[in-house]
Amino acid sequence: MATGRIQNPSTAEDRAPNLFWLQCGACSGDSMSLLGVDDPDLGELVRDVGLEILWHPSVSRTTPGAFQEMVDLLVSGRKPLDVLIIEGAIIRGPGGTGMFDTFAGSPKKDLAVALARKAQFVVAVGTCAGFGGIPASGETEATGLQFHGRTRGGVLGNKFTARSGLPVINLPGCPAGPEIVGGALAALLRGEALPLNEHQMPLEWYGVLVHQGCTRNEYHEFRVEDQRFGQPGCLFYHLGCQGPMTYGSCNKLLWSGRTSRTRVGVPCVGCKDPDFPKPHPFFRTRNIEGGPVDLPVGVDRAHFLAYKTMAEAVAPERLKERKHPV
Amino acid sequence: MLNVPLNRVEGDLEVRVEVDAGSVVDAWCTGTSFRGFENLLVGRGSLDGLVLTPRICGLCSTAHLTAAAVALDALGNIEVPANAVMGRNLALMAEHIQSDARQTFLMFAADLTSAVYRDRPLHAEAVRRYEPFRGTVVAEVLRETRKLLDIVVGFGGQWPHGSYMVPGGLTHVPSRSDIHMFRQRLGRFRAWFERRVLGCPIERWQAIRSAADLDAWLDENEAQRDGEVGFLVRFGRELGLDRIGAGHANFLSFGALPVPGRSRVHPRAGVDRFIPAGVVKGTASLPFRQEQVSEHVAHSWFHDYPGGRHPMDGETRPYATGEEGEKYSWAKAPRYGDLPAETGPLAEAILSRQPLFVDLHRTRGASVLTRQLARIVRAVELFPAMETWLDELDPDAESCRAVEDVPDGEAFGLIEAARGALGHWVKIASGRIQHYQVITPTAWNASPRDAAGVRGPIEEALIGTPVRDPTDPVELGHVVRSFDPCLVCTVHVLRRGRTVARRPAGGVP
Repeated sequence: MATGRIQNPSTAEDRAPNLFWLQCGACSGDSMSLLGVDDPDLGELVRDVGLEILWHPSVSRTTPGAFQEMVDLLVSGRKPLDVLIIEGAIIRGPGGTGMFDTFAGSPKKDLAVALARKAQFVVAVGTCAGFGGIPASGETEATGLQFHGRTRGGVLGNKFTARSGLPVINLPGCPAGPEIVGGALAALLRGEALPLNEHQMPLEWYGVLVHQGCTRNEYHEFRVEDQRFGQPGCLFYHLGCQGPMTYGSCNKLLWSGRTSRTRVGVPCVGCKDPDFPKPHPFFRTRNIEGGPVDLPVGVDRAHFLAYKTMAEAVAPERLKERKHPV
Repeated sequence: MLNVPLNRVEGDLEVRVEVDAGSVVDAWCTGTSFRGFENLLVGRGSLDGLVLTPRICGLCSTAHLTAAAVALDALGNIEVPANAVMGRNLALMAEHIQSDARQTFLMFAADLTSAVYRDRPLHAEAVRRYEPFRGTVVAEVLRETRKLLDIVVGFGGQWPHGSYMVPGGLTHVPSRSDIHMFRQRLGRFRAWFERRVLGCPIERWQAIRSAADLDAWLDENEAQRDGEVGFLVRFGRELGLDRIGAGHANFLSFGALPVPGRSRVHPRAGVDRFIPAGVVKGTASLPFRQEQVSEHVAHSWFHDYPGGRHPMDGETRPYATGEEGEKYSWAKAPRYGDLPAETGPLAEAILSRQPLFVDLHRTRGASVLTRQLARIVRAVELFPAMETWLDELDPDAESCRAVEDVPDGEAFGLIEAARGALGHWVKIASGRIQHYQVITPTAWNASPRDAAGVRGPIEEALIGTPVRDPTDPVELGHVVRSFDPCLVCTVHVLRRGRTVARRPAGGVP
């Protein structure tokens, strides 16, 4: 990390990288992840790596005048901006004005777009900034930076690229975990390539399904399914678990290195999916002809159901009796 | 006329004040974003509040989850097993303690480093401790709060935004190794808190029963004078923070942390919860009655209705024509009866009859310093109860009562979030959410004026505040931040439209 240096193309000046964190229609949940970043933590990034945090709404201190002056410098391009992180949905309402979400009387969406045009890298932290998230299911005309759910576009448009030539890098999750926020920052500051999937999510953290590494997988394998909370069985058939349909490394890179939602008995709600929150109720699997409507990514329904029927028939007693805690 | 955007209040809160002869004569509190949470809940599944409402606020997500779960417990008339009661309490208390520490040292104390104070003798020391990102205490707080949050993560699988509280209890029982880890994390945090924050064991702090005792404690030894509490009190007094930010002197708590029947934790006599519910008006105590809660919209950007409405009958209909003279805020104005009320740790301390805060309130009234002091020492009361509940948590006992489904009906969940009173009011019909209203602590504290034109608590507390340097009105920051506003937490937060800037409310120039 100590090598973190960003080459400024306009001046070829070698200097410490800077970061501007903008909250739009946000809950601060991803900011809490930033405070939870470890090894190096936020203080170490600033002190040891030399990251210059131009602004973060929770922890920066500046005067109103100095803030406006800095924004003017960045937006006019007189001061280079390396990393722009946006947290929260881009609120466009009412009637496209953006006045549901303002800073000093002006729409935040305009500030987000103006800063994005000048940034070397633009990162959407959290599902809201990337895809619209929960606010997009409401009345505020909320959307994501370069997507609206799975649809390309968003507030910046499909063709947008940052100064680096990269599109918006999406780090969905509600919130995006500290290791993802910290890892992405580290990669950008070191100038490392981050291969992306079709939704511009780095494969490093979104290359597997939430299902992978789930400690309930043996129950899943033999179709030992729970119908109520508090049991160790699989949550897929009845309790609405979206782990087999959602890309995310929740059960591979554990939270605090220890745990995940499914490990504490909470069915995956698909919070890293571009379409989160789906319109149907959480914690209830939609079933059709004895099987879930939504099946694991890429499987064939008829074969899946046949396999599950056979698996259930050979399920060992130790699992049916739920002898193995998760 | 000053228009001050305040950062470090977790979301954007804009405060407008009118200054005459160097101090504030009127004030308007304006938040700046509306996300429409209450309305987007309507039509969703009966359990969906457990997933969606924690996401109202990344700081108070455990509190929202608790309120949502408590409302559903009430709807199903479900008795939650002791294990789950203690587990829910532990998660909520850990969230409170880390929030109090982060708010105090990363947000409130950062203002003490302002260059406005560079000639003060303690300024250099404040910078050394609290400079954003670089201060010695800032570094420690980041590390220690991260560790403490492992308790919430152990219950929820993540923090923020877990959904592990469900009607009937919790989705899992912590294992023996989980509980072992929780105990280690709490012990580590308490040791740090006693060493760094208090400079003494919590028992010594609990012996402080009056303002005079506090002075004696400060003079007792170097460790106490130099600890963070001692330093904040000394610098705060030097800056006059004990003389600004009084407010209405009405205090409200919804109560929280139910105590299971056989627990060795004992709430105060006659109360069934560790943090009691109640209302204080001046020096008079009133019993808390849920029916007395209402929300006004006369000065808020919502379709008008006369007076206040109880949240079970409330509505959230944004009204954004941009040409309102009276309306300046997307936040509704919550009232208890007709009272605006301050909520948060100081209200809890007074309603819990903690001698030091009862004495400070009675003899000196509320202030920025007293409010902030109540917040940072709240952990003192919580540590012992957490330790007992960790001992009483049983990895082999039930943590979730079996629940078939949540019946149709209406119910509410009232608790204390880190920032104070939080309520969810919900109606379920045909298995779907028909009505959901949320009143957050910040809605109480950062409330705009009500139908009678009475200011909200922060607005009132700003009156009389001196402003030395209009380009860095740090004093306003002290007052506002002593309420720990988390404005994104205000579900229907307000914006200040351009037209409002041209035609400010209340005839301001």
